[in-house]
Amino acid sequence: MISFIKAAAGGLTGICRSSGHRQGPLYSHLKVLAAGLKTYDIPPDFSDVVLPEKPKLKFINKVPNLKKAKKEMKQLRDIQGPARAANTFTTGSYAIVALGGGYLHWGHIEMIRLTINRKMDSRTTFARWRVNAPYKPLTRKGLGQRMGGGKGAIDHYVTPVRYGRLIVEVGGKVELGEVQHILIEVAKKLPFPAKVMSRESLAELHQKQADMEENNQNPWTFKQIVQGNMLGIRKVLSPFDLHNHGRFTGKFHIPGRV
Amino acid sequence: MAATLCSKFLQRQGWLPLIQSVRHGSKAVTRHRKTFHILRAKLMAVTKYVPPERVIPPGAYPSTTKRIQEDSALTLLLKRDLKKVFQDCKMVAVVQNSASSAEDMMLLKNKLFKHGIIVKFFPNQVMRSFLMDTAHSNMAPLFIGPTVLFVSKEPKVKEMLKALRSSPQMTLLGACIDDTLLSVDGIVSYSKLPSVAVVQGQLVSGLTMLTSLTASLLQRHPAHLSALLQQHVRQQSPDSGAAEEEAAS
Repeated sequence: MISFIKAAAGGLTGICRSSGHRQGPLYSHLKVLAAGLKTYDIPPDFSDVVLPEKPKLKFINKVPNLKKAKKEMKQLRDIQGPARAANTFTTGSYAIVALGGGYLHWGHIEMIRLTINRKMDSRTTFARWRVNAPYKPLTRKGLGQRMGGGKGAIDHYVTPVRYGRLIVEVGGKVELGEVQHILIEVAKKLPFPAKVMSRESLAELHQKQADMEENNQNPWTFKQIVQGNMLGIRKVLSPFDLHNHGRFTGKFHIPGRV
Repeated sequence: MAATLCSKFLQRQGWLPLIQSVRHGSKAVTRHRKTFHILRAKLMAVTKYVPPERVIPPGAYPSTTKRIQEDSALTLLLKRDLKKVFQDCKMVAVVQNSASSAEDMMLLKNKLFKHGIIVKFFPNQVMRSFLMDTAHSNMAPLFIGPTVLFVSKEPKVKEMLKALRSSPQMTLLGACIDDTLLSVDGIVSYSKLPSVAVVQGQLVSGLTMLTSLTASLLQRHPAHLSALLQQHVRQQSPDSGAAEEEAAS
């Protein structure tokens, strides 16, 4: 009986020692009240996190600094399909991930910058842009102008974003719960569906997709049918479908497909 | 020739081409999804993701292979008792006990014990598993609910019925008497039969009466005997009956 109490006390003293409280000769006379004890999760270890010198989001130019601005065609391809760049984490651990294609205006970018910079704690957190400054020119004709007369003048610049691209990355000595509300607030206002994700959840998303592809019980897959051009189906499909296997229509992502 | 034709066409005023081609080029609207071509829609429907069947966790359903339960020591003991009962006892009656109190049961036991009938309790499961292997397997359906066995070495059915009449909680279901399965009606009719000794006595008396009659006839006067024989012959012959009737008329 006595040995049991001693063992329990030893366990508790072990816990105390780890947390830095040493009680000296009181060790052997500790009362163990198991009903009141609560086990807390071990807080995450941020000892290897290095905060950059400038943790806040940088200002982004509204107009690129070009010698000669050139009008471009619509080029809808650069919002279609999955992102080929900036679709994985670099330094941060939480991010806003685009779940569809779209254009970010300078106004959106400013909104993101101001909101995040105002609300985040810059002593423990840092944020990084994962999108470029607006570079794609969009043209408009002036108000009250008659049609014709060629392409209009460049009105503003946008940043095209594809599905799966990270917009802003947040990291530092913070957990998701501390920054989630800021990121969600921002993600709601973006011109495409967006979601707040951590490194783990993004990896999980990719893993889920890979699992679905592996465990699909349907013997007929889009990829196989389209690549084999069965029943001449390529007549109604685009090369875009050949690459994306029917997971996208234009800028939209169709969830739950292999 | 051609020049004249051309000039004719060109001279006509107000002519419009019959078919005007309207350009439906690709639209650059990206606000909504483009509708699928019907073939593409079918293709999308055909190539849907089909998830694998859910893996059933082990132990969620009972196993399909039947487990053969080994009898416990107590069950074996009870079975041995049962075997003894069925071997020794000529009467094994099954009675349903519908909530009779302990006092009633004690009184009934006492009443039955006076006639050498013992009340025995066996679990139904044990009973059924025992009956399954024996010749009395047809008794098994009787053992449902709270049942009691009335057991005696001699088939004392009358006494048992008498005792049961006084306790309405007990319902007779059936019995195995002298290795014969009997229903309730069968038991009642069995109880109405006289005892074996009486029946045997009747039989013997019946048999002896014939011989005694013959003996007494033989002891009479021979003339009486011959007259009787003559009458018997006359009765046996076919015409005799009719002749007698004529004579009588």
